[in-house]
Amino acid sequence: MTEGLPFDGLFVEVSRQLTICNACRYCEGYCAVFPALERLAEITPGDATHLADLCHDCRDCYTACMYAPPHEFAVNVPAALSAVRRHTYDEYLPRPPWPPWAAGAAGAAGAAGAAGAAGAAGAARRRGAMLAAGLAAVCVLALAGFLAGGTGTAAAGSPYRVIAYPALLVAVGLPALWSIVVMTGAAVRYWRATGGRGLTSPRALLSALRQAAGLRNLRGGGADCAYPTDEPSAARRRLHGLVAWGLAACVGSTVAAAISQDIAGDAPPYPLLSAPVLLGVIGGAGMVLGCGGLLVLRRAAAGAVAPGDPPREDLALARRGYALLTGLLLLAVTGLLTLMLRDTTAFGPVLVIHLAAVVACFAIAPYTKFTHVVYRFLALVHDSAESADGNHRSRA
Amino acid sequence: MSDRVSAEAPWDVVVIGGGNAALVAAITARERVPRVLLLERAPAALRGGNTRHTRNVRCVHDAGDVYTPGVYSRAELWDDLCAVGDGPSSEELAALTVRESASVPPWMAAHGIRWQPPLTGTLHLGRTNRFFLGGGKALVNSYYRTALRAGLTVSYDCTVEDISVGGDRCTGLVVSRGPAGRSLISARAVVCACGGFEANLDWLRRYWGDAADNFLVRGPATNDGRVLAALYALGAAPAGQERGFHAVAIDARSPRFDGGIATRLDSIPFSIVVNSAGRRFYDEGEELWPKRYAIWGRNIAGQPGQIAYSIWDSAVNHLFLPPMYGPVRAGDVAGVARALGLAPDAVTATVAGYNRAVASFAPSRFDPSRLDGCATAGLVPPKSNWARPIDTPPFYGIAMRPGITFTFMGVQVTREARVMRTDGGAFRNVFAAGEIMSGNVLSSGYLGGFGLTIGTVWGRIAGASAAAAAGEAA
Repeated sequence: MTEGLPFDGLFVEVSRQLTICNACRYCEGYCAVFPALERLAEITPGDATHLADLCHDCRDCYTACMYAPPHEFAVNVPAALSAVRRHTYDEYLPRPPWPPWAAGAAGAAGAAGAAGAAGAAGAARRRGAMLAAGLAAVCVLALAGFLAGGTGTAAAGSPYRVIAYPALLVAVGLPALWSIVVMTGAAVRYWRATGGRGLTSPRALLSALRQAAGLRNLRGGGADCAYPTDEPSAARRRLHGLVAWGLAACVGSTVAAAISQDIAGDAPPYPLLSAPVLLGVIGGAGMVLGCGGLLVLRRAAAGAVAPGDPPREDLALARRGYALLTGLLLLAVTGLLTLMLRDTTAFGPVLVIHLAAVVACFAIAPYTKFTHVVYRFLALVHDSAESADGNHRSRA
Repeated sequence: MSDRVSAEAPWDVVVIGGGNAALVAAITARERVPRVLLLERAPAALRGGNTRHTRNVRCVHDAGDVYTPGVYSRAELWDDLCAVGDGPSSEELAALTVRESASVPPWMAAHGIRWQPPLTGTLHLGRTNRFFLGGGKALVNSYYRTALRAGLTVSYDCTVEDISVGGDRCTGLVVSRGPAGRSLISARAVVCACGGFEANLDWLRRYWGDAADNFLVRGPATNDGRVLAALYALGAAPAGQERGFHAVAIDARSPRFDGGIATRLDSIPFSIVVNSAGRRFYDEGEELWPKRYAIWGRNIAGQPGQIAYSIWDSAVNHLFLPPMYGPVRAGDVAGVARALGLAPDAVTATVAGYNRAVASFAPSRFDPSRLDGCATAGLVPPKSNWARPIDTPPFYGIAMRPGITFTFMGVQVTREARVMRTDGGAFRNVFAAGEIMSGNVLSSGYLGGFGLTIGTVWGRIAGASAAAAAGEAA
């Protein structure tokens, strides 16, 4: 079993399983992981990390595996790779500026000296950082609101009645910037560790974008995902698409609002049939449907594992999956509520709640499963560069 | 213990077995009659028998497509079949199998099977064999899904202990289901599609003696031939050779049962193979690998101690699927020999003798994608193709044992898949499909992917015949 192993032990187990996979190769048609594995002469820890992030967790390789438990080879690739992903999410964050004991204060200090210290310390650091960043961000928001509260001259339904524009910019911008810096640091460390290639190749970037946009690796080569049960289903890919594109539409809504305000000189609130509102409504609704649906699927997937059957995923990572979906759902619901209630007296409190959620989410994003977006995209770029080479070689 | 007689109305068709042939028979029968029961001996998690370890099917096709580029004519498949072992055992039934194979891929696709391009590293199979997406267990899962959706009943953990017969008809099956005990299931027609007897070492020992103790079985331990033995006891006529089986070279470290594809070794055509005395004994480069891989189980079974060793060098190390336990590795041939427990001098001498017999042009003309004609000169036995010097360190080696996939000896059948009796008659309502009747088609050799072809062709025939027999009996 892979649950709770420190990376060294986990790597031994993952290598054992992937060596069996490479001798078998039946799953080659499902996703990018197995062709990528076959290109490796031998598996290094960096390779295992790359393959883990290339895995989109469709679980087709589990249901197709004649070596899955109760077979004595006990191959369970989705669980093994999700355990590696959890280590990735923990270990590739840049070291925080505060000492380890401060991070330990977040709740897992005792684990640092125990077995599996590396993994536990990483998780403790992550939890500490998440708590600190979230608290700091909300403090910034409160301070900004206190120092620069809204003006009565702003139109009804405008956020600037609650908080002044520069204060809003600082309150949201600071944690966003923090997140970008931390995630970039993590991306750089990940890229070095996995020996990443292709960031300068337009072809690899385009191919990665195309694969990410359509979630190609959740298509199972036409078989869809074995999720939430062992039966093939496109539900996960569709719902995940709703979340991702919904989030993109919400970002688009913000950009459109910025353009309307700063370029067109048109102050909020915007009418229903304007780009900021339409994008926000469509994106918010997509996120609510997508996150809600994925939460339901997650519960169904956990319930579908029969007693005595091994879980198909790392359970700690599964908890982070719930957390991410819940956070995004909260963002989307409060966002939609601010819009729906903007002509009522509830507008102020709801907006404050939404802004607090936005600010906190921006600040803690690098310490949540949100980072899978970064690592998966990098893994896709690397894979696109490598597979282009591989195809070239095999044609030669 | 008294057998509990099922109170249920008789089933139209009961299919014994849970792999490809059984599923195809059950699905085919269910398309014709309403009450079909499939009895799988394994628990649900391990359902599918040997089919779990398969990956492709060899069928005639008149035009190429994405999955099998190029034509594979009936004549060519026939020639390929005639060229392995002693050729087909019944020309009539083998020809029927080849002819019917053409409609197998569309039938599979119509019943839920998806395809994928030939797997990387499986040389020479792309034109003749279609690979199904995800391999055999995915195929089994798809067929069970199709079967359940069609409304047939599946019982897992069911062992058929005996077959009850009155005159020339089967009247029912004695079935045990773990703690539920034994019960009698009544059936209007029965299809036996439950594999060979390769996991029954006592049975193998009758033909192979103590050598059988060194055989490893690539599929599940449940293939013990219990139903085949029951059929023989009822007077069923045998078909196929006693020692007929499909066996390949597998890693000597593999588990006794169910190691499947990951334990197989494809290094042989790129290596030399020596026995425990350190001497070569068979042409490693005789033919393209899919046409010859299946003789190596038999070859090794004929060597002292049923063990042999494949030895190669770094120049070819990347050309075949990497073995799951990994090879031994050393800076010189003697080191490899020592690590394998062989006499270093003997192996070094064999490699030196082989290297002297290799043509000087071999490294430049060496081409793993075809019969490259790089042969040894004056060496006994020769290596007819891909003979290049073993001289680039590090050197590699692996110990190999015979890995039996399935036995051929089974029951003789008619063109309708009806089981024949030794008295020349046939059971009216007992049919057979798949490995249990493969001896009607195969003699001693095997052709990659043809087991699935036999199972699918004869599963369809048996399923349709059983449904018809059930109609007559109703």
